[in-house]
Amino acid sequence: MSDDVQRESFEEFKSSFAYGSRTDLGFKFIAGLPDRDAARFLQDLLWKLGDTFDDGQFERIVEHVYEWQVRAYAGEGKWVYADGPFTPLRKPLSKSRLALLSSSGHFVKGDDPQPFGVKDMTQEEAAARILQFLKSEPRLSRIPVGTPKEKLAVRHPGYDVRGAQADPNVVFPHEILIGLEREGRIGELAREAYSFVGACSQRRLLKESGPQWVRLLQEQEIDAALLTPV
Amino acid sequence: MCHVSVGHIARLLEASGIATVIIGIRAFRPSLEAMTSPRALITPHLMGRTLGAPGDRDRQRAVVAAALDLLETASQPGTLAELPGVYRVGKK
Repeated sequence: MSDDVQRESFEEFKSSFAYGSRTDLGFKFIAGLPDRDAARFLQDLLWKLGDTFDDGQFERIVEHVYEWQVRAYAGEGKWVYADGPFTPLRKPLSKSRLALLSSSGHFVKGDDPQPFGVKDMTQEEAAARILQFLKSEPRLSRIPVGTPKEKLAVRHPGYDVRGAQADPNVVFPHEILIGLEREGRIGELAREAYSFVGACSQRRLLKESGPQWVRLLQEQEIDAALLTPV
Repeated sequence: MCHVSVGHIARLLEASGIATVIIGIRAFRPSLEAMTSPRALITPHLMGRTLGAPGDRDRQRAVVAAALDLLETASQPGTLAELPGVYRVGKK
């Protein structure tokens, strides 16, 4: 092998999936695994792919990725609260007014929140600016429920948005809620739903944006909120 | 981080008299648990596809329906329920 070939350690290879040369927001978790576990994850993935060539049972691949996602993120949970506020639902849901709020990063095309003043930021540019997002105040996008998916865009530096692009309901279930309202399960669905990029400054969320958003929902006399983090 | 952000929003809303229910994935159950989230339905799904695969309307509906049940039945903060079943590969 010639000397000019760049050598890459397994550690470097693994890390490149988390905001590096091989950024993949669906698999960035392997960067946080010890080398032995990351190797095991990849080897088993390939082995299971081989089985799938023969029988087409793709569920085993999903199950494998799911199990390792759970394992990789098991150490999360730095924000600890021994207790929490709680508001019981005051009337039956069939008589309540419900709003949807997601951290999916959806917005209506033509109403781009333009993070950091950047116009037409791509998903790739957003991922490259992850640290900037984590220091910044989140912005709330207002989305009329029932907006067709052709008119919705999604951009988020923390997760693989392909599923959310193909069908926003996988993380922003506005159409599912419309159906449940029609069936009478929900008294009234607020016509405006909300989405923001959940990768943001927790301090600023707690002190600035969060209290403003609470007031916004209070002004609309919302009784309950369905919240969908990603 | 998203689950923490939404966990914080849930706390702010509950403190202001608005009932909430979170739908989160199993991988981030520890975050939601550590925050004593008011009510949370945990799905056995992949990150970025919390309610199920794109186009899987039956599964998405079942998830939301279970979350709404939790909204009505939970009586104390930190109520977590795990949805049974598995992520079904997308319907095209």
